[in-house]
Amino acid sequence: MTEMFANLSLGFGVALTLKNIALCFVGCLVGTLIGVLPGVGPIATIAMLLPITFGLDPVGALIMLAGIYYGAQYGGSTTAILVNIPGEATAVVTTLDGHQMAKQGRAGVALGTAAIGSFVAGCFATLIIAALGAPLTKLALLFGPAEYFSLMVMGLCFAVVLARGSILKAFCMIMLGLLLSTVGTDLETGQERMTFGFPPLSDGIDFAVLAMGVFGFAEVLRNLENPETRDVVRTKIGRLLPSWEDIKQSIAPCLRGTFIGGTLGILPGNGAVLGPFASYTIEKKLAKDPSRFGRGAIEGVAGPESANNAGAQTAFIPLLTLGIPPNAVMALMVGAMTIHGIIPGPQVMTKNPDLFWGMIASMWIGNLMLLIINLPLVGVWVKLLQVPYRLMFPAILIFCSIGIYSVNNQPVDVAFTALFGLFGYLLIKLGFEPAPMLLGFVLGKLMEEKLRQALIISRGSFMTFIERPISAGLLLVAVAILVIALLPSMSKKRDEVFTE
Amino acid sequence: MSLNKIDAARGWRIRSTQDLAAGLFMIVLAGLALFLSRDLATGTLRQIGPGMLPKAFAWICAGLGALLAFNSLRYNGDKLAGWSWRGVIFVLGAAVVFGLTIRGFEIGPLKVPQLGMLVSGPLVVLISGLAAEDVRLKELVIFAIAMTTGCALLFKYALGLPIPLAPWLLGI
Repeated sequence: MTEMFANLSLGFGVALTLKNIALCFVGCLVGTLIGVLPGVGPIATIAMLLPITFGLDPVGALIMLAGIYYGAQYGGSTTAILVNIPGEATAVVTTLDGHQMAKQGRAGVALGTAAIGSFVAGCFATLIIAALGAPLTKLALLFGPAEYFSLMVMGLCFAVVLARGSILKAFCMIMLGLLLSTVGTDLETGQERMTFGFPPLSDGIDFAVLAMGVFGFAEVLRNLENPETRDVVRTKIGRLLPSWEDIKQSIAPCLRGTFIGGTLGILPGNGAVLGPFASYTIEKKLAKDPSRFGRGAIEGVAGPESANNAGAQTAFIPLLTLGIPPNAVMALMVGAMTIHGIIPGPQVMTKNPDLFWGMIASMWIGNLMLLIINLPLVGVWVKLLQVPYRLMFPAILIFCSIGIYSVNNQPVDVAFTALFGLFGYLLIKLGFEPAPMLLGFVLGKLMEEKLRQALIISRGSFMTFIERPISAGLLLVAVAILVIALLPSMSKKRDEVFTE
Repeated sequence: MSLNKIDAARGWRIRSTQDLAAGLFMIVLAGLALFLSRDLATGTLRQIGPGMLPKAFAWICAGLGALLAFNSLRYNGDKLAGWSWRGVIFVLGAAVVFGLTIRGFEIGPLKVPQLGMLVSGPLVVLISGLAAEDVRLKELVIFAIAMTTGCALLFKYALGLPIPLAPWLLGI
């Protein structure tokens, strides 16, 4: 316990320098600014804003990225409440009651509750990360290549089950991501694989290029096709601070949401996405009058928003302790960290404690910033939401182009991104959800490396994955979750959860 | 949706053109990957070669694609929706033009000098802007100039990224 507080105080020492506070502030601000734009989810936001961190030292860059991440998350909730357009899967729940509240002239209270709920959740989640960080890092040292491989298999199975839409199609996307990850020079033999003999491909497909193509460009194409039905709230925003009555109503949902979201967020394989859905369902079940839900119940905003933020934050745990990103956004954070020369994993905490704890402390500061920035700036966001899409997407495009060019200073990367934009558009047309592909892509290289190592150690015997107890346990969970999801009765329930 | 719908009707016919196309798409991609990795050594389990995983993943992709296509004959699902060429051409075209002009290129007889962001920037906004159905030219031109100025100030000066502005005019 004392160790945890010593670590946290080290972190706050790093994060509370004037420069890092400023970086956190700017990150939150621009993250919200881009995240508010309808049709731009957190993945596209972070991909677009990556280049602005390039000139910074690693600690500053990570603090700014964390700020961008929270800003993007919160921006998504703002759009969900004010315009009824969820920026990503987890914001869907917020649209249900949040937008209804906005229609009743209580948009300010909804936004305020979301911000305060997120802040409370953020405080608890920061403590959870600080408490679990050290023990989990020790656990990671017990992990050999076989355990890592099995853990990633389990994560991918979770990602398949938790993806929206058909399980079979999500499975396809994971495998496609794994396949794409093998493009490039083979690490052991140096042979080129599937590069068409084209030199820019010999380093493999750049993660930023793939992400920006599939989530930036393809998303623009998708939005262009569906004629705008942007239903920006015309009524007054109203006062922002919830009344005493509102606070009393939302405090229990907020705490329950934090607990649910925080717990689910730790799971590898995008457990965080379940948080808001689970929280909403529970609040509805616990409510004295469930019929209020869907008609502007404040619990329906406070609970899911807290769950969302807690999950968004605890999703850092598998990344920082084991080096395994649990979802596509975290996969992007891996890309960002690698650009700054940091390989996420257990060694980060031991080798760069100032970076590790500084980032955790800045998470808390970031949540506080969001509260400070967003409450006074709501008016600005509303104005921004009234910008027509015909001007919004050229702006997105020029940002993306400059951003992609700046990652490697390679003009050909921009053309590649356009190609992946086309690819992503095709996937959308074929009914595939591209997020699992990104996760498969990021885990692919690591999985191949660990698989090869494990098989060299075991002299080519696959039994090693079953003989080692931790590895066997992880694989068992993976199989169990797939079997459960494929049972007809469960798959019906799964559909209900995601359509509600 | 195919696996979740239990309402399999009798008889074989194409019940979801989207799923059928998706299945064929997976098979084609897997075929391409298998073709490209045909010369890579598979190796043994003890010493995995560079070709083993690409081939294994490709076979799984092909299998999943076949299952998807097969299911599209048995379970009802979505139809294949139309394709909007306007967006594809202007939006993706704009990005390609940016890539080609920012540092210049040479393809055979075609030669474009380094134009830099002051030219590439407005080009991206103008070309992509044409993809919108309610495009207003005058507004778009003003917006293109404003966006480029803003981006130049932000990326070149505030963030100090090494992106060429207009080497042919300003020398930077």
